[in-house]
Amino acid sequence: MKYTTFNQQPTDFMVEPMFFGNPVNVARYDQQKHAIFEKLIEKQISFFWRPEEVDVSKDRMDFQSLSEAEKHIFISNLKYQTLLDSVQGRSPNIALLPIVSLPELETWIETWSFFETIHSRSYTHILRNLFTDPSHVFDDIIANDEIKRRAADISKYYDALIFATQLWQTQGEGTHVVDGETHVINMRELKKKLYLCMNSVNALEAIRFYVSFACTFAFAERKLMEGNSKIIRLIARDENLHLTSTQHILNLWAKGKDDPEMAEIAAECEEEAREIFLNAVQQEKEWAHYLFANGSMIGLNEDILCQYVEYIANQRMAAIGLGQPFDVSSNPLPWMNNYLNSDNVQVAPQESEISSYLVGQIDSEVSADDFDEFEL
Amino acid sequence: MTTPTKGRMIRLSDGSAFSSSKDTILEDLEENNVTLEYHCREGFCGACRCKLISGEVDYTIDPLAFIDDDEILPCCTIPLTDIMLDI
Repeated sequence: MKYTTFNQQPTDFMVEPMFFGNPVNVARYDQQKHAIFEKLIEKQISFFWRPEEVDVSKDRMDFQSLSEAEKHIFISNLKYQTLLDSVQGRSPNIALLPIVSLPELETWIETWSFFETIHSRSYTHILRNLFTDPSHVFDDIIANDEIKRRAADISKYYDALIFATQLWQTQGEGTHVVDGETHVINMRELKKKLYLCMNSVNALEAIRFYVSFACTFAFAERKLMEGNSKIIRLIARDENLHLTSTQHILNLWAKGKDDPEMAEIAAECEEEAREIFLNAVQQEKEWAHYLFANGSMIGLNEDILCQYVEYIANQRMAAIGLGQPFDVSSNPLPWMNNYLNSDNVQVAPQESEISSYLVGQIDSEVSADDFDEFEL
Repeated sequence: MTTPTKGRMIRLSDGSAFSSSKDTILEDLEENNVTLEYHCREGFCGACRCKLISGEVDYTIDPLAFIDDDEILPCCTIPLTDIMLDI
């Protein structure tokens, strides 16, 4: 079905599925099939921050005092996070917007991606402060095999969905030959690709960030690189919200509260979804190995970081009904939670009590006795 | 401020029990040295989600995290009755 930026057919969004229904026309939020996405938008906007608000100037001195092994850990993590947010800053838009069918979900996807671009900009902010010319760090993201391997796995589900959607929207359902390769396009296959892609994104938001978060906060536990840590806390808070959104989408499908065909696909592809998660866990453990290849850092080593990945994976997999495959019952890095607590991330003093201080602050009710104490 | 929801019994599946005195169930658990995973403490991440076996709770804020029918978020709930949690 050809994509149109403004579908002229009257559409009842209360009966549309989240994806692969009619294209959205009016961006209206007066009626919402899944009100949770509107709430997530409000929450995300209340979290708005700019990298420049965080002073990272002290980090430059700290960085120079780090050992070579620690510098490798710090910079490698920034490279990996730059990759993750480069992918997340564009892919939800390109992959999901052409197939979304609910206005509140469409706007959530745009809001979500926009915040990933703030994260990307913050890595440049951090690196500009550490190096007079940070270009060698960015250039290496494309050259580094360890990062490239992860990039391939992260982008392949997005790419498959995007390509199939393009074929479907230009050629329709059927068997199409492109550059000598045969592609079978039908709704079931498209929805399967969407389901696997959503699981891959969920795993990305759920665990891929957490190895580097753990390293960042381990530096902060030693009062090192604290500017960077403040930024990463803001990023972690946003990522938590993004994770919540993909968990909602997956659970709405699995519990049959949206598209009944997606419920069938969720049951059919459960094993593949589990594999996506377990692969991500394995890759994160390999990443931990690469980080500590030149030596450890105080307070953290490869073993404990791998246990943490397993612990976090148990939590995240249970949340989407995939069970708890790993034998780790207690958090090996309990101090992590202090950094992930949203009360501890504020940058502006006026935000020190509640993070969503922008919501409902203007009171337009004026009663007759409001000016009683007023004298001229 | 004292609320009528304080002084409810919170029972855990390991048999331990204590009465509620804090602003949220999570704080009560921590007060009684029960370790529970948490991140945001504001109801949007879902890290603290756990199963409610019996009893009723009320949310202090509108939770955004996904919660299954038999689950609650201790970081933003208070007990309305005596409750039992699968912890």
